[in-house]
Amino acid sequence: MKILVCVKQVPDMESRFQVQAGGTAIEEADLAFRVNEYDEFAIEEAVRLKEKLGEGSELTVLSLGPQRVAEAIKKALAMGCDQGIHILDTASRDPYQVASLIYQAVKDQDFEVIFTGMQSQDLGYAQTGLLLAELLGIEAVTTVVSFCQEGDGFLVQRELEGGQRMNLKLQAPALFTCQLGLNQPRYPTLPNIMKAKKKKITQLEAASLAPPAARSQTTSLRPPAKKGQAKFLEGDLGAMADQLVAELKAKSLI
Amino acid sequence: MEATREIYWNIGTEALTTLYLLTALAIAVFIWGMAAQVKTLKLGRPLKRDDQFWKRLAYALSQSLAQSRVRSKRTVGGLHSLFLWGFVVLFIGTTLIFIQADILAPLFGITFLKGSFYLFYSIALDLSGFIALIMILGLAARRYIATSLNLPKNPGDFWSLFLLFVILVTGFLIEGLRIAVTEVNQNPELARFSPLGLLVAKSFAGVDARALRGLHAQVWWVHMVLVMSWIASVPFTRLRHLVLIPLNAFCADLGPKGKLITLDLEDESQETFGAAEIQDLTWKDMLDAEACVQCKRCEDACPAWNTEKPLSPMKVIRQIKELAQEGPTAKLVAKIGAEALWACTTCRACQSGCPAEVEHVPKIIEMRRNLVLMEGQFSGDEVAQAMDQMEVNGNPLGAAPATRADWSEDAEELLVPLNEAEVVYFTGCYASFDARNQKVAKNLIQLAKAAGVKLAILGKGEKCCGEPARKMGNEYLYQALAAENIASLQAEGVKKVVTTCPHCFDTLSKQYPDLGLRIEVEHYASFLDKLVRAGKLKLNPQAESVAYHDSCYLGRYNDQYEAPRQLLAQAGAEVKEMRLRKKESFCCGGGGGRILAEENQGTRINQKRVRMAVETGAKVIASNCPFCLTMFEDGIKGADLEGKIIAQDLSEILVEALASRQPKEKQ
Repeated sequence: MKILVCVKQVPDMESRFQVQAGGTAIEEADLAFRVNEYDEFAIEEAVRLKEKLGEGSELTVLSLGPQRVAEAIKKALAMGCDQGIHILDTASRDPYQVASLIYQAVKDQDFEVIFTGMQSQDLGYAQTGLLLAELLGIEAVTTVVSFCQEGDGFLVQRELEGGQRMNLKLQAPALFTCQLGLNQPRYPTLPNIMKAKKKKITQLEAASLAPPAARSQTTSLRPPAKKGQAKFLEGDLGAMADQLVAELKAKSLI
Repeated sequence: MEATREIYWNIGTEALTTLYLLTALAIAVFIWGMAAQVKTLKLGRPLKRDDQFWKRLAYALSQSLAQSRVRSKRTVGGLHSLFLWGFVVLFIGTTLIFIQADILAPLFGITFLKGSFYLFYSIALDLSGFIALIMILGLAARRYIATSLNLPKNPGDFWSLFLLFVILVTGFLIEGLRIAVTEVNQNPELARFSPLGLLVAKSFAGVDARALRGLHAQVWWVHMVLVMSWIASVPFTRLRHLVLIPLNAFCADLGPKGKLITLDLEDESQETFGAAEIQDLTWKDMLDAEACVQCKRCEDACPAWNTEKPLSPMKVIRQIKELAQEGPTAKLVAKIGAEALWACTTCRACQSGCPAEVEHVPKIIEMRRNLVLMEGQFSGDEVAQAMDQMEVNGNPLGAAPATRADWSEDAEELLVPLNEAEVVYFTGCYASFDARNQKVAKNLIQLAKAAGVKLAILGKGEKCCGEPARKMGNEYLYQALAAENIASLQAEGVKKVVTTCPHCFDTLSKQYPDLGLRIEVEHYASFLDKLVRAGKLKLNPQAESVAYHDSCYLGRYNDQYEAPRQLLAQAGAEVKEMRLRKKESFCCGGGGGRILAEENQGTRINQKRVRMAVETGAKVIASNCPFCLTMFEDGIKGADLEGKIIAQDLSEILVEALASRQPKEKQ
């Protein structure tokens, strides 16, 4: 079985985000990058499937982005993927463009199972996986929290609102977007990290994959306006009570 | 008449052939037995421990004959030493007899056991025997009667103590019988130099000399047979430590103290990392396990054991010994338990107090390395997350690396640009990001400024030193972080670094050289102490009573006990010493990467330590380490001691002494 997992490298959400001059992109210099958390669930599930199937199955990890993205691919390789595809791209893309580029890169490779994260931590469109399935003309299941392969098909569970679950049965080829709770991603062992350094990463230039025009544009980016603030009172109990009363009076709340 | 006695009196030289045969047999069994005891050494990996012969020999002698570590535990250690020295004198005495009676006298006609030397010889041996006898009874009482001490008991150990006891008793009997026949009446002046023997002799007063001679000959043979069986039994009882501990001390780690082996992660011939099986440990680990006498000092000192965690350093060593009997592929973690391994704070209290020179901590780290590097296991999810944060953000707290220098934003005038700096302050993660510890960072730059030192920080160029990851077994992450720090320090041409964290200090000064960084590194206690001594940093004494806590990594790992105390004295603080201090200091619970882990078994180490500080009556528990400070802040809250004591860093006390000085200078 040929398995594909698509991952995105995202800034750590604790990073200090600063908007670039021009106001449509984030300054990258101060960011620390990591593999999108949902994509780690996707990698783990893909590796588990490959391990279950054993001989004859092949797991490819794909990512799109500038040179730094190679780190995310290496992490997936260390977790157990067999080979990587890196679509080198420095432009900022909307989900349709990203899905189209991935489609161009993989359309002739007959992947039977594709895993992606449910959404990215940074932009949270939750579209790339679905658009890719649409372009490939295969089934897609979102927010997967349980996955089981049986013969040619899969038994999966989706997470719905309010703690509800939904069981589905479907045949390959199919794409699954992975949700928190699906699994606990493994910590790569040292021998696997070392082996990963020798695994093949195919680089493709985004320009050579004929990216379509974007269907949406970022018009402006800015930090949210400051709305109120918290104030910590210090000192002994009596003094704090007095301060509190004074504050409330000053704000005409009492 | 010159004082002496007839050697082999009443026995005759014809008995010597039998004696020699017995001796040869005993020595043969002894050698065969010792060889069998140490055959597990072959299971271990190689390790170089035979360099610097004379230094090693001197150290082995200091630990064996001079008993320096044994005696560090005063009462019982002192008794043990007297026990040993009693037997050493008896051994020397017997050897002198052998030299005179079997070599010098028959071959050259030389005798030296005579005159005043004989008098000294006689009384020395008599008293040594008496001391040894008393000590045997005392040590046996401690092990078998004082059950509250809970010392391990086993039949072999009892046998060797009992045998020694009978040997001493029969020795006195022989001496007494001889004196009764040859000295009591004939030479009472001489008999006075064997007071114990004389006492025994007097109890035979009035008995016929022939009967005494007959009895003497019989007891003499019993004594000799017992001595020979004791020698032959040494390898099979606890007393094998007579050989193994001096040997283990000879093979000791000569330092730097606590320097871990830096794994070659790129070595492709290496299929496994860390220790999973007996054969992954070194021969020295096997020797440690054989040399351990289960004296329980490590267990008594262990902060994990003392707070009901599933770790006993003594048990780990015993388990390694048992596994070694099973063979090279015996699985370590299955027997010892991952929980026990994760509980270690690497505080080194076990190791630094061990009279058998056992190295506990590196074994635990080797096993942790295997769990992390080969199995991807951690002590808990929170530790795995902290590792992930270190990997992505360069600090275990998950703070944005770009904000690493934010703590210094409102104090920029206290720092200079990197290219003008005399010293670089390697801030460390806690002082950079943790609100409580940021005060320590600010204090240090204020103190350095007051002393006129041009200090700079690396800012974004600094990452976690990697110490918590490494001690938790993640050598790969440690080396990755270290490589980035070393690149930053080298790119800036840094010559000297000061730290506020003893973990950073130990790592940069002692562990980074293996990865190519060789610069001067100092912890701020010694750094500021020197500035005070040079008159550059002036403090105005403030009255305060302080319980000073020796952090493990400044104290036991780096032997710096005086500089912080000097500084406290300069700041006018009255240092209230805790019962467990200096070499015996009790860890705060945050070492060994435990600062990243939940402590959810047993009682809390930090609370126990804070209570010890309260017992001194001090109002402040002061430390020199961000982990200690964090642990004590939590411990005071957790133990409900708010209002009774506060946790401070040494730097806070110094800054108070500085602040009070400045207005005076302005006047």
